[in-house]
Amino acid sequence: MPPDHDLDDYVDAAVPHRHGGPLRVGLGGPVGSGKTALAAALCRTLGAEYDLAVVTNDIYTTEDADFLRRNAVLPDDRIEAVQTGCCPHTAIRDDITANLDAVELLEDRHPGLELVFVESGGDNLTASFSYGLVDVQVFVVDVAGGDKVPRKGGPGVTASDLLVVNKTDLAPLVGADLDVMRRDSATVRGDRPTLLISLREDPTAAAVADWVREQVRVRVVA
Amino acid sequence: MTAALLTLADARLPAGGHTHSGGVEQAIAAGLVHDPSSLAGFLLRRLQTAGRVAAGLAAAACRGGDPAALDAEADARTPSPALRAASRQQGRGLVRVGRRAWPSPLWDALPAAPHHPVALGAAATAGGLTPRDAAGAAAYLSVSGPATAAQRLLAMDPLTVAAVTARLAPGIDAVADGALRDGLPADADPLLDLLAEVHAARRDRFFAS
Amino acid sequence: MITRVEVVARRGPGGRTVLPVVRGSGQLAVRRTGPASVHLVATAFGPLGGDDAEIRLVVEEGATLAVRTVAAAVALPDRGGDRPSAQRVVAEVAGSLDLRPEPTVVAARAHHRAGLTATLAPGAVLTATEQVLLGRTGEEPGRWTGTTRVVVDGRPLLHTTVGLGPGAPAWLPPVAPRAYASTVHVGQAAGVLTVDDAVRLPLEDGWVATAWGAELHRVVRAVEAVA
Repeated sequence: MPPDHDLDDYVDAAVPHRHGGPLRVGLGGPVGSGKTALAAALCRTLGAEYDLAVVTNDIYTTEDADFLRRNAVLPDDRIEAVQTGCCPHTAIRDDITANLDAVELLEDRHPGLELVFVESGGDNLTASFSYGLVDVQVFVVDVAGGDKVPRKGGPGVTASDLLVVNKTDLAPLVGADLDVMRRDSATVRGDRPTLLISLREDPTAAAVADWVREQVRVRVVA
Repeated sequence: MTAALLTLADARLPAGGHTHSGGVEQAIAAGLVHDPSSLAGFLLRRLQTAGRVAAGLAAAACRGGDPAALDAEADARTPSPALRAASRQQGRGLVRVGRRAWPSPLWDALPAAPHHPVALGAAATAGGLTPRDAAGAAAYLSVSGPATAAQRLLAMDPLTVAAVTARLAPGIDAVADGALRDGLPADADPLLDLLAEVHAARRDRFFAS
Repeated sequence: MITRVEVVARRGPGGRTVLPVVRGSGQLAVRRTGPASVHLVATAFGPLGGDDAEIRLVVEEGATLAVRTVAAAVALPDRGGDRPSAQRVVAEVAGSLDLRPEPTVVAARAHHRAGLTATLAPGAVLTATEQVLLGRTGEEPGRWTGTTRVVVDGRPLLHTTVGLGPGAPAWLPPVAPRAYASTVHVGQAAGVLTVDDAVRLPLEDGWVATAWGAELHRVVRAVEAVA
């Protein structure tokens, strides 16, 4: 490599790392941990405060999008479903084209959009969102998966901006120790926050909604 | 050939190709593709119709043809609304990444969501490639994506699928060579049109097309 | 053999169509069978491989023209070599053209190339059908290549080449039909329709319907069902 080699030649200075437009929040996590239920709760709780929309990444069907429509948490034209070609993690991490198309479609349709949730298809503990697609990401696991989940780590658990441990109401039934989960999460996540919630006990997901509000506020200030 | 061609035809280029099966998902549902040999037959069909058309358009676009006129010719060769949407969706995805990878004023001359081969031709030009390169990439992509889609859907042996794709190479080259000679081919396969429309109406599918 | 046909339809006095030019040479004679209709009559066997026919149709604004044939054409192989037979319909339409020939049967070892190039003015109406059967009874299929290009007001509306028969690109098992029918229409829009082995696709102010299968009469019924 010549001594005057300029690494800036390889990078677009003009393209900001973060896009403009609405705050994009990724909701990821394993199958059955409650991503769709959380998305629905957040839409219900925040729908009156923000101009918002949702992108769903169902694996095979439009079931999650249909769930959101059926529960009328948002009007139809604020929900977009994308197909992920059998690879839900590819669609949110490696090749985010279909999701970007969906987000841009929603932005075009609703010029005042402030908040977009991108819900991933249920995948495994290694799946995480590319920051080319979202600004912040929430990883949802549940107590029923066992209290060892936080300790086992994985990018979703360790590096997500918010870890949500759902279904705390089931802890006594499955023999999960919430204190262990709380402690292990703190160990692997450092300063990143973790919230233990039960959507059954609090269908408004108040704690997560507060965190989302803070993200919007921080972004607006920035 | 330059390394830019390898980038352009790389399945990992984030242009959205992985969410399209090129009709394979519906061909499997219809029982037409179920093993390596029926997959090879399907890929040959696709290569010599959709692939040949794409190669001709991509070469012409790379040669500096008017993108709007070529886009209209692509529409005329793609009467299936589902296939038009799939092509334009992939064209839009390629423009998004191509604009970043190979900055050029050419991108601004394209329609908003151009047909994929038209975008491919522009990407080839912007990347310093030749019309033959553009045609080669178009012909290759007409089978490489569908092949891996079949592999995923049927849990086929990836080595077998790789071998099928590799053995299509002479056919892919012939289609790409033909693109420089035959103007804008219009080879159509009504079966692919039918499969695409039936697929688009389904609510239970893995792939966008 | 070289065959040339030319028919011009013009709006005459009182708005009725007149046919100032009706002529044919080679293997096709043209008969007036109505005020605005003609039948093409084969005057020899064939076409044979190597034969070339061009049918030029002009339908001026305000005029209508219906073109029929009296019997199926049987495309036969080249006697000396393997040249295909060719038949091109070149139509310029500002009025209304209804082109519905009888089927083309392509004998074993024959290759027939059919072409339709229709250049339409805005508001022109076109219906063009094609019916193909590969091989006579008990015979191996021949090969047929059909190209349709429809341009409306300078903009391409439809351009497809369908190849059927041994060696054709998309004629591979398990879908390698002996019978094929297609209708293209411009003038009235229609949406997507799918049934078994038949599909209708929308065009701007029109549609194209295609069906395929083992037997021509079933395929013709199928294409009429989605047309």
